[in-house]
Amino acid sequence: MIRRVWGYRDLLVSLARRNYQLRYRQSFAGFFWAILPPVASVAVATFVFDKVAKIDTGPVPYPLFAFAALAPWTFFTNSLTQATGTVVTAQSTMSRLAFPRAVLPLAMCATVLTDLAIACATFAAYAYLSGAGLPLTALLFPVLLLVEVVLTVGLVLLVSALNVFVRDVRLAVPFGVQALLFVTPVMYPLSSVPESLVPWVRVNPMTGLVESFRLVLIEGRVPNLQLLAPALIGAAAAIVIGSWYFSATEQRFVDVV
Amino acid sequence: MDSIDLQGVTKTYRMGVGRARVREMMPWPADQALQRLFPTWWWRDTFNALEEVSLSIPSGSAVGMVGHNGAGKTTLLKVLAGVTAPTSGTFAVQGRIAALIDALVGFHPDLTGRENVFLLASMHGVSRRRIAPRVDDILEFAEIREMADTQVKRYSAGMSARLGFGVITALEPEILLVDEVLAVGDAAFQRKCISWLDEYRSSGGTLLFVSHNLALVRHMTKRVIWLDHGKVVADGATDSTLAEYARAMERRESTNLTRSRRDVRKELAASSAERWGAGGARVEEVHIEERPGEGVEIAISFSTEDPAHEDVVCCVGFVDESGREIGAAASPPLVFTEGGGFVRCSIDPLPFRSGIYFPIVAIMSSDGLIRDRWRVDRAVVVNGQATTLSDFGPVDIRAAWSGERAKESENGDGHG
Repeated sequence: MIRRVWGYRDLLVSLARRNYQLRYRQSFAGFFWAILPPVASVAVATFVFDKVAKIDTGPVPYPLFAFAALAPWTFFTNSLTQATGTVVTAQSTMSRLAFPRAVLPLAMCATVLTDLAIACATFAAYAYLSGAGLPLTALLFPVLLLVEVVLTVGLVLLVSALNVFVRDVRLAVPFGVQALLFVTPVMYPLSSVPESLVPWVRVNPMTGLVESFRLVLIEGRVPNLQLLAPALIGAAAAIVIGSWYFSATEQRFVDVV
Repeated sequence: MDSIDLQGVTKTYRMGVGRARVREMMPWPADQALQRLFPTWWWRDTFNALEEVSLSIPSGSAVGMVGHNGAGKTTLLKVLAGVTAPTSGTFAVQGRIAALIDALVGFHPDLTGRENVFLLASMHGVSRRRIAPRVDDILEFAEIREMADTQVKRYSAGMSARLGFGVITALEPEILLVDEVLAVGDAAFQRKCISWLDEYRSSGGTLLFVSHNLALVRHMTKRVIWLDHGKVVADGATDSTLAEYARAMERRESTNLTRSRRDVRKELAASSAERWGAGGARVEEVHIEERPGEGVEIAISFSTEDPAHEDVVCCVGFVDESGREIGAAASPPLVFTEGGGFVRCSIDPLPFRSGIYFPIVAIMSSDGLIRDRWRVDRAVVVNGQATTLSDFGPVDIRAAWSGERAKESENGDGHG
């Protein structure tokens, strides 16, 4: 499957570019919309969790604390919500052309990844402007991101393939990720979770990732393997199961959608 | 060497909509196990769009495919194009394949024509770098230069069809599957596509051509496959297979009362074998011979019911692809022997510009009553050079001119 998709990498780029072009076409603010959502969500989170709920994030300013986790988290959730339906939506294209179907959800992931790049640039700018700067461990960011991308792509492949046969998936995914947001320490630190619940929260692969992103981007510490183990195992399992199921069923997509 | 080879290909579709597809979502080997354990449940509500189709197409040959709607033609093309997988059976395709399944080709409505060219090329696995130098040629071919940077949703059906065909011309396929795409677009563009296909065939390309326009199938191919209810009914020389097919269509008209007669009429009209008249005389046989010098010789035999009653006039006319009548020649009142006669009409050269023309043969009484008018199921192709007058209609008027001649260097076309 990887080799087939690689042969169509130009299509992947074209589709990702198309998603971008289309998103801002016939809109007034245009590219401004790429920067606004992450900034706005950080502002809202700051209001709710810092000012109202007064969550303790230690010496780290809350906006920075939220931003470091919210940007990668948004990549995860937006990939899932936006890429799930891509196969079904491309029905008319699929019924005429024989490209590898995996290109469709992957292109959407690539688009969302570009959003993350823009959010990261915004984050870096904010970190320097606020005087905090970025620690040297920020160089580990790409490694963590790779783990997250593998995990996300695996889940996206599985979910977008299942959605072709059972449309409930498309309806369940946004609900699922929303619920996941509250049980993952994105808006609050893992340290504020009651001791008895920590093992349960840690099983979630995204917990380790989100916490690690904060460690390397703000605190300048290298995450230990124990924290990241669920994420590594989850990513490996997701990519194996996701790509297996997708390639096992992709030939039938066009007959079912 | 065979470009295309199918062995016992069956394609099963499931009927009905709305429910989750539990059977299809089972990955291998779960699907095989369920199929074996619960065969009745597994095969419930299914029908075969293709049933045990075996055929091979040698590389470099042009093959036509006919059959009424729902016969499985498009499904067969989709299997070959790799769009859908056969339920059972095997197939092999040797060479770069491109398919024009229908005129909509999968454009994205919100992208411009130019952007869609890149997108469509990459969906065929052709990189941006390889297609970039050809984009202008494509837009030129599709005649949408001015609209290239407009969103495709603002295009007319004809414009997107032209763009779709234009992209295919740039992909340099070795095997081309064409499904009824020439039905859209105006006559001038159809002509352009046909001459491109002619060139493609003569340069050794393999062609599988699906159309309801039997005249075009006849022009394009030497072999025809006739599909019916997913099975190959006949596979052989174009002339005999098409004749058999046309006869079967006529039989269908007379026996199948459940289908609306108008539908059948439409199909018959599309097969360009129209025929009508007041009766009393009948065109029996028409033999058309195209001569290399752009001329044709048409031999007509006809019969009359009442030999002593009146003189008849034989008429040979032409219509173009869109059915527009272009012109006709009438014979002097004919002498005939008992019950019928024979007449030969020679037109050399045909006074037409490049294009496809369909002859009409008619028998009329001398007062102009049409006894029998027959649109012959055979196209005459004129391949003249392009002239500056191509927009001036199909008739090539030969004229003598006098006046001062321009100098050699300024002498552009010299036609006329």
